[in-house]
Amino acid sequence: MSEKDLFSGRLKVLGYIIVLVIVVLIARMGYLQVYDGEYYASLADGNRIRIVPAVAPRGTMYDRNGNMLVTNHPGFAVSLLPLTEPVSEDVLNRLSGLLNVPVAEIHKKIDDHVGFDPIRIKNDVGPELTTIIAEQKDLYPGVVIEVLPIREYIYHEQGAHAFGYVSEISDAELEKKKEEGYKSGDIIGKFGLEKIYDHELRGENGGEQVEVDVTGKPVQVLGRKDPTPGNDLYLTIDKDIQAAAEKAIDEQLVQIGAHAAAAVVMNPQTGEVLAIVSRPSFDPNLFVNGISSKNWERINNNPYYPMDNKAITGEYPPGSTFKIVTGTAALSEAKVSPEEKIFDSGHHWLIPKGNADGEALGWINFEEAMAHSDNVYFYEMGNRLGIDELERYSRMFGLGKTTGINLPYESEGLVASRKYKERVFNEDWYLAETFDAAIGQGFNLVTPIQAAMIMGEIAANGKRYKPYLVDKIVDGNGNVVQQFKPELVGQLDVEDRIIRLVQRGLRGVTKFGTAAFVFGRDYPIDIAGKTGTAENPHGRDHGWFVAYGPFDNPSIVVAVIVEQGGYGSQSAVPIGKKILDAAFHLNAPKAADADKDKNKPKN
Amino acid sequence: MFINKKNLRKTDVVLLVAVVAIVVMSLVIIDSATHINTPSEERYWFVQRQGIFALINVAIAVFLMNFDYKMLQGYGNKIYIFNLIMLLAVMFVGQSALGVQRWIQLGPVSIQPSEFSKIIMIIALTNLLKDKIGKLNTFSDLLPIAAYVGLPFLLVLKQPDLGTSLVFMAIFFGMIFACGINLKLLAGIFGAGVAMMPILWHFLKDYQKMRIMVFMDPNVDPLGSGYHIIQSKIAIGSGMLFGKGLFEGTQSQLNFLPENHTDFIFAVVGEELGFVGAAFLLILYLIVLWRGIQIAKQAQDSFGMLMAVGITSMLAFHVLVNVGMTAGIMPVTGIPLPFMSYGVSALTTNIFAITILLNIYMRNQKLQF
Repeated sequence: MSEKDLFSGRLKVLGYIIVLVIVVLIARMGYLQVYDGEYYASLADGNRIRIVPAVAPRGTMYDRNGNMLVTNHPGFAVSLLPLTEPVSEDVLNRLSGLLNVPVAEIHKKIDDHVGFDPIRIKNDVGPELTTIIAEQKDLYPGVVIEVLPIREYIYHEQGAHAFGYVSEISDAELEKKKEEGYKSGDIIGKFGLEKIYDHELRGENGGEQVEVDVTGKPVQVLGRKDPTPGNDLYLTIDKDIQAAAEKAIDEQLVQIGAHAAAAVVMNPQTGEVLAIVSRPSFDPNLFVNGISSKNWERINNNPYYPMDNKAITGEYPPGSTFKIVTGTAALSEAKVSPEEKIFDSGHHWLIPKGNADGEALGWINFEEAMAHSDNVYFYEMGNRLGIDELERYSRMFGLGKTTGINLPYESEGLVASRKYKERVFNEDWYLAETFDAAIGQGFNLVTPIQAAMIMGEIAANGKRYKPYLVDKIVDGNGNVVQQFKPELVGQLDVEDRIIRLVQRGLRGVTKFGTAAFVFGRDYPIDIAGKTGTAENPHGRDHGWFVAYGPFDNPSIVVAVIVEQGGYGSQSAVPIGKKILDAAFHLNAPKAADADKDKNKPKN
Repeated sequence: MFINKKNLRKTDVVLLVAVVAIVVMSLVIIDSATHINTPSEERYWFVQRQGIFALINVAIAVFLMNFDYKMLQGYGNKIYIFNLIMLLAVMFVGQSALGVQRWIQLGPVSIQPSEFSKIIMIIALTNLLKDKIGKLNTFSDLLPIAAYVGLPFLLVLKQPDLGTSLVFMAIFFGMIFACGINLKLLAGIFGAGVAMMPILWHFLKDYQKMRIMVFMDPNVDPLGSGYHIIQSKIAIGSGMLFGKGLFEGTQSQLNFLPENHTDFIFAVVGEELGFVGAAFLLILYLIVLWRGIQIAKQAQDSFGMLMAVGITSMLAFHVLVNVGMTAGIMPVTGIPLPFMSYGVSALTTNIFAITILLNIYMRNQKLQF
């Protein structure tokens, strides 16, 4: 083989190798750009496109007269845009120092984050921090200030249990609500109306599609969608009555040294709830940005459960307020005539049970017995009716089941019955238990709203309206999305004549009976009422008062309970009277002062 | 003037046009890759610099065409020694960047001696091998040649510049192959090389080991050294068939693609000009390399033949490793893409290499008269 042949052979091989190299490279390009091009194009978009959400403001809540109760204020959140490159440790340290958030916590938020929307590091920061970040942009690459609507409960603790509160969605809630479009970091209603009407209130978030460079610096806005604000709720609540009820309860609790109470004010002829109060309360504003552990401990360690809405969740023995049911049943079943007098010697002749302080009222008729809340008379009514009739009438009044008010966590209460005792204690029914049931002790349990419903049914001549808190839902353009109407859910199977008799008996309570000393002779509105003192095996008795007025055409029914307040006439009646004063504008001469007080948000 | 009209007629026009096309393309792409990060008053700084050096080099090349490439024969050992001194100088007075000593500042220009040492190695090795065609049959035949290449190889490796040292290897193997080395001997060397791999691995710096591991799987370190490869693949792939358009590459323009005017410039071509542009550029390279082999074939002597093979091996290796790297099929070694990557040392070396090819072609033509 000559030198020349050796050359050209080897050079030919080198030529082939070169062709092969180029062909391989072109093939590789084809694979990346043509075969897999779509995939890499989406990765390139993922690199450069960030969604900066514009959070929709939640709907506002107004009272029945259009006064704002719950609204939003603009707040600033400091967030990090998720980047292709890791955020430098320097920036994180600087940010940590500025926001007073530990670096480890920032790292955790970054690590836990998925997706391309900003990672919220701190909510609701003050303007001084946002100014620093805006002015020193170069020191904070990838850090953005988001403007967020922050929920604001104008009256703080007032009405907290009705309005509820909002907070960041939990993992468990997210799991359940993912399909409904909820996302991690969303603010969601956790309690009260905020929870029940979250879908209406939350609105729809918008956002900006922003092109960013590798440092997260926005280069241009590619597109935007404006957020749709949530729908507004117009409540049935009357801000003034609500404020008066809260104030009356607070003053009374201080005065008698009690700690927990609840009140419900409704229109008996429609079911509209005008005020709903539970004590102790909490400030829902504390939850908006995530509650601090200090505040949470303070709420959690309160032995009177501030987070419970006692007006619908608290179950108490109805005490003498139950005599309304017993009395209605006895008259309706003709077990007694309104004229018949029964002798109260201080205790019943069959079973030695008597009045609270052992007093004896002698011969008394129905009206007197109701007005003075005579136990012996109603023991006898229970004796004549029997437990089965008592149970039947209790259920007719709607006890033992929820009223259906549009708030979460409502309790059913309990109706004393043979079946219940059989089931729970596996024992027969005793007459003594009928006696207890007839005066609202023993097994019977009602919630304050159920107590208001009993009174309301008498006030509305036997009609039972479902209680409701929302009058209408209005969208951002002022269109009514949904109008709520009174809903008749029951009717007592009792003659009008009988109801009249019960009404008259209840009027006696404020005229000459157990509540008369509070209302006095000259109370300008005719009020029917009923006091109650429920025995409490765990401490002092609970004090009850239920009332309605004006007597001839009732527009207000109120139920008040003071936990461990002692006699209803002393603990609950003064509160009830003040609420009625406010509902009927009886404190008008002092209105100027009172208004000033009411409009000042409490801290 | 230096221009000899007779010489012009004997120019390899195909090679010349292909190279000029690549250089023009390079100026446009460098502009696209740099304008975003350059203050507007210095918008064309990189392009101007690269363009001016290209023109200066072309002028020098035209002048050099008047000399016969065979003149270089006598200088083999002298420039070899010069090369060693230069590489040693880098070690002592060189400026380091990223912990790597590669530059020497000369007036306004910082030069990268390892770029020049590539062409010096080709000339020196050609000088050594020109009389050894068909005489590389035993290990002892090969040993002095290996030692001759090994010394500068180790100096470059020490900088450390793994990329350039691998280029030395490519030149060495390309040339001994063309020299007619006994294939069994060649296979033996490769076998020994493979066996030595674990020992060599030991000598690699940590960052070099990481690069190789990342090459195997970029997701080992997606935000560190794997980041370059991942972003480069995204840039190329997202260009799809026709590209996003010049100056429109989001990966490049928004700085997701690092080193987009130097080592990763091919990814900008892929992103902005698509498969069509990338394939067009690769075909230009194929033309250059193919002409290189043809010039070797037609060379009037073994000196010209071997030198053409050395130059072609060098360029081919650069194209393979650089494009392979941006496409994720070669490890990251910091080898620039000939005529495309910004960098005046490499540009000067490569234009000088092409000048030699043209010179060999021209002298060969002369014989045919």
